[in-house]
Amino acid sequence: MTIDALDPLIHVPARLQIAATLAALPDGDALSFTRLQDMLGLTPGNLITHLRKLEDARYVISEKTGNGPSSKTSVALTHRGRAALDAYTEALRELLNGL
Amino acid sequence: MDGTHGREADDEDPGGLDLHGTARLLVQTQRRAQRELDFRSPWLSLFAAAVVLVAFGAVWLSVRGQHPYKGPPAGDLAILYALLLIRIGTVVYAHRRAKAGVSGRSVTQERAEGVALVAALVAVYAMMAALANDGASDGVVYGVYVLTATLVVLGTFWAARSAVREEWLELGLAVTILLVAAGSAFAGPSGVWLSDGVGCCALLLAYSAAQAWRLRAARAGA
Repeated sequence: MTIDALDPLIHVPARLQIAATLAALPDGDALSFTRLQDMLGLTPGNLITHLRKLEDARYVISEKTGNGPSSKTSVALTHRGRAALDAYTEALRELLNGL
Repeated sequence: MDGTHGREADDEDPGGLDLHGTARLLVQTQRRAQRELDFRSPWLSLFAAAVVLVAFGAVWLSVRGQHPYKGPPAGDLAILYALLLIRIGTVVYAHRRAKAGVSGRSVTQERAEGVALVAALVAVYAMMAALANDGASDGVVYGVYVLTATLVVLGTFWAARSAVREEWLELGLAVTILLVAAGSAFAGPSGVWLSDGVGCCALLLAYSAAQAWRLRAARAGA
């Protein structure tokens, strides 16, 4: 097994952190954009860009409620995203065991 | 934080992380997220242990010489309720802080659990009123019953909640509190305050130590 076995979409520090943080929530829960940003210490633009990539791969799903300044965006890891993170973790473990 | 601050959004480079660095980042992020999203902490448990000992101890000191049992005077009851309110306030604050921004199924579940708990406690106090109305002695109504029934309800609620979430340490604590409460009922209307105070305090101290050990082990593992 080589490092190519690691999902390139997750194998970026910011996206790995996003996926790992959202995976800490129980299944069926979502986290607000601002709380996620606060927990990871990323800039809003940076977080949006990484989330968009994860969303394009259907690893995360975001939902916007309300309008204008009172609108809120919540982000959740999908089953597909959770499975991808599990597979990534397993591949990483096997690579480390092979060193 | 972990080398990701200020990283350009379109940077697809893993940031020079080797496999060990990636594994460390993954574990650190998981631990940190779990810690920040969980309202429980060793300090909160330690505070609960102190509150239980002081509140129940104060009541025991005021009722230990009573023959027949009349119950704690208003001043000691005020201390008891004030301490319990402070304890509830700290838990509510910690819970709100940890769950800020969280929405979804678990939030709905917790609200439903809260309704069930409040209903059970209301039932306990309604039954206490019924016992007093039916002529049960003050020792039974305001001593053994009120404390034992309250702790049994809280212990059962917490045990069921922990079992569903597969939180075995918390399940063990809740079941042990149930047993301490049931056993303490045999100590009589005055002794029940001391027995429950010392018993619950010891259990909460042990739980606090276990939480601290678990946190330290998690940090060492990271």
